[in-house]
Amino acid sequence: MALLELEGVTRRFGALVALDQVAMAVEEGEVRAVIGPNGAGKTTLFNVITGTVKPSAGTIRFAGESIGGQPSHHVCRLGLSRTFQITALFPEMSARENARLAAQARHARRWQPFGGAGVFRQAAALADAALEQLGLTSIGDTPAGLLSHGDQRLLEVAMAMAQQPRVLLLDEPTQGLSVEETAQAVDTLARFLQASRMTVLLVEHDMEVVFRLAHRITVLHRGAVIADSTPDAVKADPAVQDAYLGGFA
Amino acid sequence: MTTLAFLLTESLNALSQAALLFFLGVGLTLIFGLMRIVNFAHGALYMLGAFVGYSLAKGSGNFWVALVGAPLLVGMFGAGFELTVLRRLYRRDAHAFLMVTFGLALVVGEAVRLIWGPDALQVAPPSALAGVVFLLDEPFPVYRLFLVATGIVVAVAIWQFLERSKLGLLIRATSQNADMASALGVDVKRIRSSVFGIGCALAALGGVLAAPLVTASNGMAATVIIDAFVIVIIGGMGSFLGSLIGALLVGFVQVFGNYYLPDLALAFMYLVMLAVLVVRPGGLLGKET
Amino acid sequence: MRAVTRPILIVVMLALLLAPLGLPPFAMTLLTEALILGLFAMSLDLMVGYTRLISFGHAAAYGMGAYACGWMLLHTGMPLLFAVFAAALLTGVIAIAVGWMCTLATGISFSMLTLAFAQLLYAISFKWTSVTGGSDGLAGIPRTSGPLGFAALSGKSGFYYFVLACLVGGFLVCFALVRSPFGAVLRGIRENEAKTTALGYNTRLYKIAVVATSYALGGLAGALYAPFAGFANTELLFWLLSGQALIMVIVGGAGTLVGPILGAAFFMLMEHQLSSLTEAWALYFGLIFIAFVLFAPQGIWGLATAWLRRDAKAS
Repeated sequence: MALLELEGVTRRFGALVALDQVAMAVEEGEVRAVIGPNGAGKTTLFNVITGTVKPSAGTIRFAGESIGGQPSHHVCRLGLSRTFQITALFPEMSARENARLAAQARHARRWQPFGGAGVFRQAAALADAALEQLGLTSIGDTPAGLLSHGDQRLLEVAMAMAQQPRVLLLDEPTQGLSVEETAQAVDTLARFLQASRMTVLLVEHDMEVVFRLAHRITVLHRGAVIADSTPDAVKADPAVQDAYLGGFA
Repeated sequence: MTTLAFLLTESLNALSQAALLFFLGVGLTLIFGLMRIVNFAHGALYMLGAFVGYSLAKGSGNFWVALVGAPLLVGMFGAGFELTVLRRLYRRDAHAFLMVTFGLALVVGEAVRLIWGPDALQVAPPSALAGVVFLLDEPFPVYRLFLVATGIVVAVAIWQFLERSKLGLLIRATSQNADMASALGVDVKRIRSSVFGIGCALAALGGVLAAPLVTASNGMAATVIIDAFVIVIIGGMGSFLGSLIGALLVGFVQVFGNYYLPDLALAFMYLVMLAVLVVRPGGLLGKET
Repeated sequence: MRAVTRPILIVVMLALLLAPLGLPPFAMTLLTEALILGLFAMSLDLMVGYTRLISFGHAAAYGMGAYACGWMLLHTGMPLLFAVFAAALLTGVIAIAVGWMCTLATGISFSMLTLAFAQLLYAISFKWTSVTGGSDGLAGIPRTSGPLGFAALSGKSGFYYFVLACLVGGFLVCFALVRSPFGAVLRGIRENEAKTTALGYNTRLYKIAVVATSYALGGLAGALYAPFAGFANTELLFWLLSGQALIMVIVGGAGTLVGPILGAAFFMLMEHQLSSLTEAWALYFGLIFIAFVLFAPQGIWGLATAWLRRDAKAS
């Protein structure tokens, strides 16, 4: 059974059909990219999976449990952690505190209104491990607001990882980075994905990034899936070239 | 009194009340729409308008001088405050504005008390508007009819100004995207000063017009600022039409609530606001926040 | 920084403990009121400084605490100690409903809802005469000593120590709270609420909890004020008091707990000193407040600690 399964997922905004009968299955350990031209419904797909937007129809199953339409903090606690297209951090906290707060969200006593050394110790250990995975240990004490753009994007991934997710959802992890920064960030991500065997759902604009990181690619066009295959097969698919790659020419 | 006559006079009362509230609310919402500032001093400037109006009317012996002069003076004061103080805060978070304008409310409130004294001052409406007319055989103050008319004129004027004039276009552009407007060569700084000034002038206009009804008093700032916020919250922060609808709603709720359920009239206004917020957290015509 | 501020806090604490021995009665009255206001301002700091929930209606907490405590002392014969804490608890419980309503909105609308709620109570306090005494308020509130030998609390210095104990206790509660896992989430909400939600926290519940805690402590301050002054009136629910509390927090230093207490003391001092010099004291106070927001947003305590740290570094 696939770890994350979507069946007939549809989302309408008034007359606009943002997602049209989307079906896909992400296996454990797979890095899946979702691509498509602007307005294809990629971000809506993420929002529907993570519960920020309710699906109009269809089912979403995560590890066999139906999660469609559940509130986002609940979905998140089941083991889906996401990053955002626009960098979202706690700017005045250090990188380590950012990751620690992320890890704390998974702790049973995250509520504790006094003391809490035990909670902090466990969360800090997870945070440090996540920073290490993304090569951010050396900037752990820098306030997140003062980090370079590339490091901020990676810190977001580290925060998601500190939650020990079963699926990591990355929304355009290289958005807003220069060519050079992108290359560095992708190197780090590739190393990290190789080492961690993490299950990942990735939305990305940059084709080079997608072909470098993804095991399998789903192509969305006007809200519907038009291809779902290996990178090489997707590259060769005439329908995809028509709808998507052709759009660049 | 017949039911019809009662409904007519009370509705006109509510409309005149709504007109006063609209002058407050529209200034607040214009300023918020453009600068994302909540002007806490709005009630104090309304009061300042009433007192300046009192002095101008007394000095010149002419209410019309006050009606034009007080908004002008208070508007200039507001623009000056934007130039000297608020301008330093655009890089800071929204809370700094809230604090600074609260400080301004304190200062203006105290200054008014020191200059004009603690007693409420009577302002007479101009003689042409002093009498009553008979509507379905019921006497009704001409002055309230004048308020309704002024409200309609000002609402149409602001609407046309925003839709048609060049400055109105620039204001709308800057409200939607200040950075973009600035990149296109709009002098955003000057727009901000003008709009803050215009908002303050509208508050003062409300103050001058209210003075003959309620007298100019030290307490008027606190009550109206809450009403103004309720209007803007109901209508939606930054929405011109929203402030109009909010003012009408609150005006009618206040007048009819006062008649039917005098003990609950005030609570009723808050209940309306709460109901709106539960259904639409951003207000009737506001964006979701 | 802790090493620099700790000795100061110890000295201040000692001075406060010894104050009744040396100060004239008039100064003791002022000091007691400053401590009560300090507790009130500190309770607001939990919302304003640590969670960036700007409340414009904190007088609601103060007034509710004062009226509840005053009513119990007047009508039930409850001992002082019990009435004060029962009033604080009651305020906290009511604040759960207030928090639930106000957190429907965020940002500025939140501020306005807190204000509206406080004004609603203000209006009710005029109408519900059987309980609140209407525009006269409750007068002649006794400091009933009760059976357990707390008679000392009713005296001037006894009551002072009671207030001091409440302030210190309240401070310790807040101090533990902001350093706990719960406090870490509050800081997250302050800096980026959307992200905090995305991490899996139900931020609304955290906000309701902090509103309830803050109101309970503010209610405690109000509950102390009623037997201190011997009366409770509608002024205690008026928005001006909410504004003054906000000023104390900002001028003292938001997000520091100690700062707002200092801010309250500073406010009392200014009110007392300036009002004997000039009739226009509130005008000057407003100007001082604006100057702080413009030029020293970190407040008195922020300025002081920055200065001490620089001094410590230099030596």
